[in-house]
Amino acid sequence: MIIMELILDNEKRELEYQGTIEQLLKQLKVMREEVVIKVNGELSAETTEVGSADKVEIIKVVFGG
Amino acid sequence: MFDKRFRKTIREFSMLRAGDRVAIGLSGGKDSCALLQSMVQLKEKLPMELVAITINEGIKGYREKTLKTAKRECEKHGVEHVVLDFKEAADMDLDEIVRTKKDDIPCSHCGVLRRYLLNKGSREAGANKLATGHNLDDVAQTVFMNIMRNEPARLARYLEPISQSSKFIQRIRPFMRTPEKEIAVYCMVNGIELDNMDCPYAGFAFRGQVRKILNETEEKYPGTKFKILNSFIEMEDALRAKYSVDAKLESCKSCGEPCSDGVCMFCKKVKLLK
Repeated sequence: MIIMELILDNEKRELEYQGTIEQLLKQLKVMREEVVIKVNGELSAETTEVGSADKVEIIKVVFGG
Repeated sequence: MFDKRFRKTIREFSMLRAGDRVAIGLSGGKDSCALLQSMVQLKEKLPMELVAITINEGIKGYREKTLKTAKRECEKHGVEHVVLDFKEAADMDLDEIVRTKKDDIPCSHCGVLRRYLLNKGSREAGANKLATGHNLDDVAQTVFMNIMRNEPARLARYLEPISQSSKFIQRIRPFMRTPEKEIAVYCMVNGIELDNMDCPYAGFAFRGQVRKILNETEEKYPGTKFKILNSFIEMEDALRAKYSVDAKLESCKSCGEPCSDGVCMFCKKVKLLK
């Protein structure tokens, strides 16, 4: 079982996942155009592979106004 | 890459020249803060003066934070900062306008007042150019919105007014080829605070729906936003030629600012809101 730490909408959770960030975003129904990703504290491209022991932060950066 | 694109856009559209005094529309959000920083860095190569103008709509729980950010960024870069209030200019802030005009879309009032104050404020600050942080996403949305609403005349004057007046300050959008997400990354890399909330009135705006459509389309068909912008640039001359025939400029009978028909939109709004 591949568990990684995910932070989305400022909420932490653990998730069973292994694959690219792009696939993760699709799975979570998060729009790629509206977020920036950090993996283990570093800005990362959506092609980055993530899995166990990774901490993935999905940061919303597009807002109305 | 970010700076390269910024400077290339400025050159492509001849946005700046040495000696300009540029007002920067500084909301305190990520786009305008990134613009301020980029302009400060550009100033080392292209001599010009900068003055930041922040419009305070008086939106409680939202604008106070970005006002603080705007002030902090101006102090950090040593840039003159002017703050103009809706309340002072129109006797009402946006929250009061929304309470009074419950059936109206708040953005329809906000946009008119904000553009008026930015133009007038820039001129009174002695600027000959007004730079705003509108990015590729913003521009693509605006083009799309005006097509969806059958408003090609508005598109004709989007990049600059059709009729020239010394009272209209030329607007430039150096980030118009830069995706919004890239601006966010630039801010994160450069220690600029990111906004983290929607304007409380953003949900009323049609733009939100258009943003969603374009972002979904961009995911499936990367490059869509660039193509919309490039198509618009191709069409712009034809649109301007078509709509310039009927365009005429007068001075507002109430405030003297340029307008197309007797009384400017700002004065009409203020009268309506009272």
